[in-house]
Formats: sequence, C-alpha cells, structure tokens
Amino acid sequence: MSEHMTLGDLDAAQANREAADAAQAKGHAETVTAPAAAEGAEGRVETLSMQQALNRALADVMEENPRTVILGEDVGRLGGVFRITDGLQARFGEQRVFDTPLAESGILGMSVGLAMAGYHPIPEVQFDGFAYPAINQIVCQVGRMNYRSRGTLPMPITLRVPSFGGIRAPEHHGESLESLFAHVPGLKVVSPADPEQAYHLLKHAATRPDPVIFMEPKSRYWQKGPVNVGGAGFQPGGSRVARTGKHVTLVAWGAMVARCLQVAELAAEDGIEVEVLDLRWLKPIDTAGLAASVSKTRRAVVVHEAPLTAGLGAEVAALITERCFGTLRAPVERVTGFDVPYPSGDLEDEYIPNIDRILFGIQRVLEYRRG
Amino acid sequence: MAEISFPLPDLGEGLIEATVLEWLVAEGDRVERNHPLVEVETTKSAVELPSPQAGKVVKIHGEPGDTIKVGDPLIVFEVPDDTAGIVGTVPKEEAPKRRVRLSPVPDED
Repeated sequence: MSEHMTLGDLDAAQANREAADAAQAKGHAETVTAPAAAEGAEGRVETLSMQQALNRALADVMEENPRTVILGEDVGRLGGVFRITDGLQARFGEQRVFDTPLAESGILGMSVGLAMAGYHPIPEVQFDGFAYPAINQIVCQVGRMNYRSRGTLPMPITLRVPSFGGIRAPEHHGESLESLFAHVPGLKVVSPADPEQAYHLLKHAATRPDPVIFMEPKSRYWQKGPVNVGGAGFQPGGSRVARTGKHVTLVAWGAMVARCLQVAELAAEDGIEVEVLDLRWLKPIDTAGLAASVSKTRRAVVVHEAPLTAGLGAEVAALITERCFGTLRAPVERVTGFDVPYPSGDLEDEYIPNIDRILFGIQRVLEYRRG
Repeated sequence: MAEISFPLPDLGEGLIEATVLEWLVAEGDRVERNHPLVEVETTKSAVELPSPQAGKVVKIHGEPGDTIKVGDPLIVFEVPDDTAGIVGTVPKEEAPKRRVRLSPVPDED
C-alpha cells in the first residue's frame, strides 16, 4: 500500500485489509505484553492533551480503515486551527486529508456524496458558529439519507465541531449547538469531557455506520490527562459517573464536566456530596443512567453553556421528572447560559455558568420545601 | 514558534489614527494577556492599550511621536506553535474561586 493513495486505490487497499488487521492485532498483542506498559490489563497509558488524543484517534482510524477521509478548512497543510489534524496529510496523503474551500455547505455536501460512495468521511467545521451554513445538508441529507434510502445509503459521517466557549474568541466561535443537532432525527450527538473520553469516543464515532456530531470542547483542548491508548475495555455507550456523591447529581457534558468536578470538590468542604454525571451522548440520552443517579441523590442540577430556553437541560429535566417524579425532593434546576447571542470574550465569564452560579443551583435544590 | 501581528485597533468614535506616546514594553519582553503595551494619544485622549494575548514581543512599530493608522501593524508577538493560528486564547488553569457557601443538607424525612 503506497503511502499516498488515491481514492481509486482504496478498493485495492480494502483487499489488503485483513492482512493489515492481522498485523494490527499482532502489534496490539505485543503492546499488551510489553513490560513498559503502564498499569492496566490492556494497552498503554500515556499522558496526552485532548488535542493530541484526538489527533491520535484520527491517525488510528485512518490507519485501520483506508476508506476514511478527512476534509475541511485548513485541516490539511496547516493541520487544523487547533492542530487536531496535525501531520495527518503528510502521513496519509492529499487524497485522504484535504483542504476545502471556505464553504461549510460544500464540506457537508461532499461528505454526503463520499458516504454514498462507500467512504467514511470525517469532515471538520472549523467552529461551532460556522455549522449554520451547513444546516441544510446536515438536516436534510446527513440525518435522513439512511431513512430515505430504506437503509441502502447509510451515512457513516463523523462531523467534528470544535464547540462551546471559553477561549475569549469573537462571535460565532463560542456557541453550543447541541440542542439543535439533538433535535434532528437520524443524528447522534456526543461530546467528550477529557482526553481519555476524546480518544475513545472519536474512534468509536468514526467506526459507526451512522452519522455522529462530535462536539469537541475547545476550552479543554490543552488540558492533559491519562489516555489508555489502544486499550480495550472502554465503554463508549451511555453516560459516565465522573464522581460519586449522595446529596445531589450535577448533569453536564463537554467543558462543563470539569467545572462541575471543581464545584463538587468545593461542595465537599461544606459537607455536601455531589455526584457528577458526564452525559457524554446528547442524543441518544442515557435515560437509565440519569435515572439511576438521580434515584439515589433525589436532587438534580443540569449545567450547560447553551441558552436556557429549549436547551438540552429542558430535555434532561423532563426525562428525570418522568423517571424519578416519585423520589425527587426538588424540581430539577438548570444553570445555563442566557437567552442572548453568545457574548464577546470579555463577557464570557459572566455568561458561562461559573462556580458560584452552580453552587447557588445546588443550594436551591437542597433547601427546596414542598407546599 | 510562530509570529502573530497585532494591528492598531479602532479606538472608537471614528478615530483613524493615534500617536505613540510611550512604549511600556520592549522587543524581547515576555508579556501576559492584558499587560499594558503602549500609551497612545488620539485627538480625544491618551489611552493605554492592553496586550490582546500572551507572548514574546519580537517587533514594535513606531517611535514616540510617530503616528500609526488604525489597522497598521503595531506589535508582533512570537508564540509557541501549539497556540499559533487559533482564534482566541488558550485558557489558563486557575485555582477555583468561590463566594457561595452551602448550607447543610436538611434531615431527610
């Protein structure tokens, strides 16, 4: 297999897949038994930033599936404005990692065509706010093609969207579109909270047969954490208890998970044990996981950066109420952004839920009295 | 390492240029975001411009007394590659601050 394949070579490459898989499996087995491997039964634990973890995940899926292609603005030569695709064009060639014109609708339209032709496109929309020009393709084609074609044209597209705020950027660079995407039938939506989640969830999303909107919390790109590289045993489905507690459940995703973990630490100083549920999948939502946590704590606060009205917090609150009405000790609280356009960088700290606003939310559910 | 050029921003009220009064940093200095860079005078007032980002100052444009037009280069920073080219700034990991204290959980009935 030449290093720089053309799309035409890919069919031939597919034939070599089994041999490559066997080699991969052998390599994996060696990794498992390597004495240098850190603790844990499988794989190897490395400390990576979320940037590096995502880059590694992309390289892995490109290596494993020759039908995977990466496209977007500046993803090729530059390696992405956040360096997520750094080095991938040099490694996999200009046919598989390529720059597109500044036209998001075209990026998604091209991805739909590639998917129809049997490829696994991983398009990038450079920033959340630039997804708007592509909404028609996302809603009318990406989400529906499988349904419309009675399952003959699945859309194995993983749309990477650097999302949410927190980096002092101008307009259109700090928005939270999860409820928009989650509302569209046919799409799955996921957001990782740390490098480990980012690595494994992206690999999982990129090998799914259906379209996944992958919302990367851009303010967390640079924070490092342990990643079990190549390790089996990661559970990609459902939510994740990031911290256990018994008095109240904080439900969050993306960058808000780290903030909620800070809040939990502070609340512990006051004797309040906070459980932090990292929702991970924003569609489908892990209703059973939500119910299990809130049935135990009997109080819930949902935290998100998106505006309050018709935000995903409303859906989460409804699901909790449907499942846990009998045991809830207080109405579900929402601590969110405001119903305004995302503000400029200087006002960001006033907009994104901060530690005190989340603590107030916790206080409200703790002191609620019926009647 | 990569270089990022920062032009003289629009200082408001339809002003099109400003005169350098005094540079508060020198080439080679390492500055943090919001660190005062330069004092400039417009036809309205003298103002101090804060740094839009952290980085090493590699080039400053204009001596005291020189006039710079809005949009012309004012200062050039050198930044590490992993922060270059992005929009916005890399958030700092800060120790969490709080003002709110929680009351104890009431007895469960």
